[in-house]
Amino acid sequence: MIRKSFRRLLALFRKDELEREMERELRFHLEREAEENIRRGMRPEEARRAAALSFGSVERTKEECRDERRARWLETCWQDARYGVRILRRNPGYAMVAMLTLAAGIGANTAIFSVIYGVLLRPLPYQDGDRLVVLRQQAPLAGVDNLGFSVKEIGDYREQNQTLEGVVEHHSMTFTLFGGAEPELIQTGVVSANFFDVMGVKPLLGRTFVPSDEAHGAEAVLVLSYDYWERSHHGDPNIVGKVFRMNDRPHTVIGVLPPVPQYPNENDVYMPTSACPARSSEQARSNRGFRLMSAFGRLRRGVPVEQAQADLSTIAGRLQQQYPDFYPATQGYRARADSLREELTSKARPTFLILLCTAGLVLLIACANVANLALARVMRREGEMAVRSALGASRGRLVRQLLTESTLLALAGGALGVLLAAASMGMLVKFAARFTPRANEIGINFTVLLFALVVAVATGLVFGLMPALATGQNLIGSLKSGGAQSTPGSVRQRLRGMLVVAQVAVSFMLLVGAGLMTRSLIKLQQVNPGFDPEKVLVMGVSPNWSKYSTNQQYKDFSQRLVEKIKTQPGVLLAAMSSSYPLDPHGIANGPFNRSFQIEGHPPAEKKLAPQADFRVVTPDYFQAIKLPLVAGRTFTGMDHEQALPVAVINQSLARHRFGNEDPLGKRISFDRGESWVTIVGVVGDARQFGLNREAMDEVYRPIAQAGGGGILLVRTLAEPQSLIRQMRQAIYELDQETAIDHVRTLEEARSESLASPRLTATLLSLFAALALVITAAGLAGVMALSVTQRAHELGIRMALGATQGNLIRMILRQGMSLVLAGLAIGSVGALVLSRLMSTLLFAVEPNDLVTFITVSLVLLSVAATACFVPVRRVTSIDPLTALRSP
Amino acid sequence: MAKSKSDLLQGTLDMLVLKTLALEPMHGWGISQRIQQISEGVLSVNQGSLYPALYRLEEQGWITSEWSSSENNRQAKYYKLTRAGRKQLDEEAENWARLSTAINQILKTS
Repeated sequence: MIRKSFRRLLALFRKDELEREMERELRFHLEREAEENIRRGMRPEEARRAAALSFGSVERTKEECRDERRARWLETCWQDARYGVRILRRNPGYAMVAMLTLAAGIGANTAIFSVIYGVLLRPLPYQDGDRLVVLRQQAPLAGVDNLGFSVKEIGDYREQNQTLEGVVEHHSMTFTLFGGAEPELIQTGVVSANFFDVMGVKPLLGRTFVPSDEAHGAEAVLVLSYDYWERSHHGDPNIVGKVFRMNDRPHTVIGVLPPVPQYPNENDVYMPTSACPARSSEQARSNRGFRLMSAFGRLRRGVPVEQAQADLSTIAGRLQQQYPDFYPATQGYRARADSLREELTSKARPTFLILLCTAGLVLLIACANVANLALARVMRREGEMAVRSALGASRGRLVRQLLTESTLLALAGGALGVLLAAASMGMLVKFAARFTPRANEIGINFTVLLFALVVAVATGLVFGLMPALATGQNLIGSLKSGGAQSTPGSVRQRLRGMLVVAQVAVSFMLLVGAGLMTRSLIKLQQVNPGFDPEKVLVMGVSPNWSKYSTNQQYKDFSQRLVEKIKTQPGVLLAAMSSSYPLDPHGIANGPFNRSFQIEGHPPAEKKLAPQADFRVVTPDYFQAIKLPLVAGRTFTGMDHEQALPVAVINQSLARHRFGNEDPLGKRISFDRGESWVTIVGVVGDARQFGLNREAMDEVYRPIAQAGGGGILLVRTLAEPQSLIRQMRQAIYELDQETAIDHVRTLEEARSESLASPRLTATLLSLFAALALVITAAGLAGVMALSVTQRAHELGIRMALGATQGNLIRMILRQGMSLVLAGLAIGSVGALVLSRLMSTLLFAVEPNDLVTFITVSLVLLSVAATACFVPVRRVTSIDPLTALRSP
Repeated sequence: MAKSKSDLLQGTLDMLVLKTLALEPMHGWGISQRIQQISEGVLSVNQGSLYPALYRLEEQGWITSEWSSSENNRQAKYYKLTRAGRKQLDEEAENWARLSTAINQILKTS
């Protein structure tokens, strides 16, 4: 089959050669026949004539032979195409509307497909990326999905596994980098030397790590990520060899990575494990429970993930037996291996697939619309078709002509659609980045173009086939009466009605989807977060750690910072804390849970110790974000290091762990009873990890007693943004070598936490609106044509005494019955389809009545308008002229 | 053209060509001669109409062609039956036999 088509294609290019061959073959025949005639005794002259006579017309034979050779097929296509272009040029209005409608449909699909291809379909841009797996230790009974790995554990898995080619470790820290214009806080990936080799990433510049870089006491080296290199060093090609100061030692840049997605998080630079102060500490290296790292592996060639999974389970079982203290049976313990590709994209999958469905439906509606337009046009071209048919064009030839025209339109629409998709690429990449680290791989590439081409051709065939098949049923009849509106074409009219019903139904489904998403978003926005995000500025503040290496030094720094900021004009309150509500990092990483025990509550056997998200704050924190005090007191300056250790808990914890007891005055311990802190207050619950997530149990401790911090919160009098520069200034005055990052207002953090549902809702609404407009246009078109075609009949009705009002009502009823039928079908479809969305919805049921009713009303009113506008033309019908016209 | 010679039924030409080629590979002129000879002149193949049939059969994959030297040492395009062509011939021959028996039957009884 393929070889045959290939030969035909070849034949198109070898046309001359085939012609010559045919010529030669026929000449041979004639000469041979003449020879034979001579042998029978004719004179040469006569023999040739006889041969030519018995052969018949050589030219006709040639033409017939050419016809048999199917390469003609393409030639006629080309003819059809040229004819089609001429026809379309003569109908610029039709061509424009059809093209734009298709451009919208194909553009939407191309854009969404480019996202799906870049994120879900394409192999990872690492070498043999599909063999990479994420390793995980879990404590299922404690509900811990990812325990992390300690150095010892990574060593065990690396040495004992049978299925992995290499095991690498990774953790990420922020360090301050000196050497640029301002001290810069940079996210640093700390990795084993084999990390990039196992991941299959080759450097863009310089080299990646080698084992000697990781040796104890080796010179500190850095590999830069592509983004950071571009952003902070403007893609300096001579960056390799440059020396920066970090953690009070010189670090030399040895290489730059290519632009690849980074997992588990985006890092600015990478360093080998030996250069990280935390990772190379004695505690990290010898304590099995010090789980700071994550681990990845590369499957040996041909090993399926399941086999690696079994292998890891065996090792996990062995470890649990060997070190029962570290893997308590009460919490459960297991090890998992999951494909990295799955891991990178699982969050994106549901949203993207829903968007693809939506875009597909929009395209269907666009198709129906153009099919409708084309049908109307075919009705008017009945005469032309009849003439062509009478002149000898076969039915197939006419159908092909129509298909060629529609495909031409679809291709033009597709080209325009690709431009639309390309224009929306920036927005889409940003959108996708909220779901997956692979967003940067999205773009218009060969596969996406191929997809657009296939969609365009398919579209052309689909919307061309409908009118084509409805054509040529009664050509002779239309030739006789010679007019465009001669045949009422009831089949076609019914077909057009059905197309409108389908459009309304699909539009309804899309509108319901968009409506549900929007309502869910509104509900999210109305959620009371439990704190007041207005007029609060948040910034990450990190001193040069080498100057503040002890806890005491750092506490002093925090205290001086708060004091200084507090006295700035325009500042109401200032506080330090370890994190803040709706912090994007917090949302991504989840709570920082610590287990504790309550005095007087003996730890139950086989049951998990209570856990709570642990936060440290300075006294004014609660007031700064207006987290209400429910009972007792918050912290004061008196809660210093020498004073009674105290804690504040939130309502959720009080309810879960103390029930009817009064938690005030109770003591809890985070170190199995070695030291105790007294609960002095209860504060309200705050949605810390997303507005759609219930509050977690929380424990707050004063920074003065527990240390830590890092986030500065400032409640301001005026707009917080206006104070950013002043705050920076004040911080630099305190210490020039302080790095400031993640500056935002609390309101911005809140808004950002809603960004992905908002974007999804926006995109869905956009698609639904597009669908509605296209449908309305289609409906208006059908009604308009129906009025024109029935002018004669309407004229008679008027002459017989029908008022204009009667006629308008009659036609409207006809139009609206189509709409109602579509609505009914659409509701059933929407009930089924919206179930697929339930994971994306918050506090809204997929069959939400309010949404269904609102959407119905919107659709009905738009449809009524779309019907009414063309129907008003009835008033312009003059019964006399209408009656006289045939 | 003489009245006693029958025009070919549409479609039978294809079968005759296949049958002729089943004996040995042959060029276009040879095929037309062979059909005339074997049918003892009853069937006259309009020589011009032979070629479209050959092109059609080749297009359908039932025969293939190649240039080689002919009986008088000139280059001619020789056609050869393919395996698919042989199958097609068997089918058509069978159909033909059935059809002609049926028609004979009708002619005899009425």
